[in-house]
Amino acid sequence: MTPQTLTPAVARRNSTAKNRVALVRPKKPLRWITTAAVSAAVVGLHAVAIEGTDFKPELLVDGWKGMAAFIGDAFPPDLSWEKTLKPGLEATLVTLWIGLLGTTLSVPFALLLAALAAENTSPHRLVYQGARAVLSFFRAVPDIVFALIFVTAVGLGPFAGVLALICHNTGVMGKLWAESMEEIDAGPQEALRTAGANRIQQVANATLPMVVPQFVGLLLYRFDVNVRSSLVLGLVGAGGIGLLINQSIKSFQFDSMLTHILIVLVLIIVVDQFSAWIRRRLAA
Amino acid sequence: MPLSVQGLRKSFSGRTVLQGVDFSVAAGELVAFLGANGSGKSTTLRCVMGITEPDAGSISIDGAALDSLQGRELQQMRQRMAMIFQKIHLVPRRTALDNVCAGALARIPTVRSLSPLLFPADVQQEALDCLDRVGLADRAFDRVGRLSGGQQQRVAVARALCQRADVVLADEPVSALDPHAAEQVMALLRELAHSEGLAVAAVLHQPDLALRYADRSIGLLQGSMTFDLPSTAVTAEHLDTLYAPDRNIAA
Repeated sequence: MTPQTLTPAVARRNSTAKNRVALVRPKKPLRWITTAAVSAAVVGLHAVAIEGTDFKPELLVDGWKGMAAFIGDAFPPDLSWEKTLKPGLEATLVTLWIGLLGTTLSVPFALLLAALAAENTSPHRLVYQGARAVLSFFRAVPDIVFALIFVTAVGLGPFAGVLALICHNTGVMGKLWAESMEEIDAGPQEALRTAGANRIQQVANATLPMVVPQFVGLLLYRFDVNVRSSLVLGLVGAGGIGLLINQSIKSFQFDSMLTHILIVLVLIIVVDQFSAWIRRRLAA
Repeated sequence: MPLSVQGLRKSFSGRTVLQGVDFSVAAGELVAFLGANGSGKSTTLRCVMGITEPDAGSISIDGAALDSLQGRELQQMRQRMAMIFQKIHLVPRRTALDNVCAGALARIPTVRSLSPLLFPADVQQEALDCLDRVGLADRAFDRVGRLSGGQQQRVAVARALCQRADVVLADEPVSALDPHAAEQVMALLRELAHSEGLAVAAVLHQPDLALRYADRSIGLLQGSMTFDLPSTAVTAEHLDTLYAPDRNIAA
């Protein structure tokens, strides 16, 4: 915006105007004290956090040689088909399948719990509180802990990873879905209630069809997150490319490790582009 | 009388909104409620519909007082009234036909109402007939979100028809529509009242629309009725008193 020039007409109007409204900003005397207190608190918290995490940049500067040697060992990446690329690609597919099943198989559980844990669709206050508690539990336990538990039941391998993701994802997606149902316009549901529809009919014919776009968007976002989580699950023995990365580090084959990481990079980009594409089509 | 209301009173946290409203709507009649902002027009309809609980007053449908009924019987009696909303309240992602079928949910078993694919064939046929009566049979399989505002409100009217209501309560049905669509919807409501014998009560913001389309007009001023006259008998003086509160705020 260009600064307004004072035209003669405006100047005349200003000078002749009687009874002008006086410009007095309301005083807020405690404002600067609040600002200072908040700033001091933030700085203080950071000081404590730096102390608590042994955050010492000089260590990083001194030790750069070790890091350079490690990265130097990784170059060039090992591109031999039989030894690295083929097992890497196969394991990546397994990682993708773990993420896919972990997402889709949690849908029925997440849907049921979301409907019970949203204020506008839950049948009773107690059910609402109960469903919230169940969702909180599944969300609070990290997927890696679920994986360790399931490994003791079904042994090492991708199946344990799928089970772990189903549990954790039910908690997260159920919560996200419940929130998007609570934000939806309540009008259509009220219209069906006045027409004599029962609770289940109201949810099935007004609430759920209203939230489908948000639900699918969140589902794709969780698929994206779950594929990346299944990498980490591989590190604790739940199969997939994570397992290969772990093995190549333990056997000092850093060039293979780099190849696997590059494959993962491609996988993440592909999954990200895919879900962005679907979400664009939904929005249109 | 399909709908008769006596001594309707309502106050919200000490502020009296309705102080004894009596009216009735006959079959085949379109009655308009007029009044300034806050005069209690919408509250009257919401009390009749049971969305808002009135403090006192009796509501009868076909001579049966609602307060003498309970549970399932009350529920069935209420279903003979259908509501049309200012904000339309359809599901935009569903087709016009599926939205109209939803008016019949009270007649459909719960398992068959979980998805539009399971709706009984006779309900779907009836819904299509209802759409035909509002002139939108050719748009039955279009998503409601793709229809214009006026068309959407006509789909909402079709949903009320599919509910098999004898009484239609319309809460500012045309306030969100452009003038042409407003005329169309008012003409439709009048035509349905006259040709199908529905009792229609509509809260309206525009007195000129009311006087042109309604058979009878009721004026509400601060929760009391100031007139209940055939629309042809309503004069400029009547309207002047009625909208005095709005002018005072503006002045």
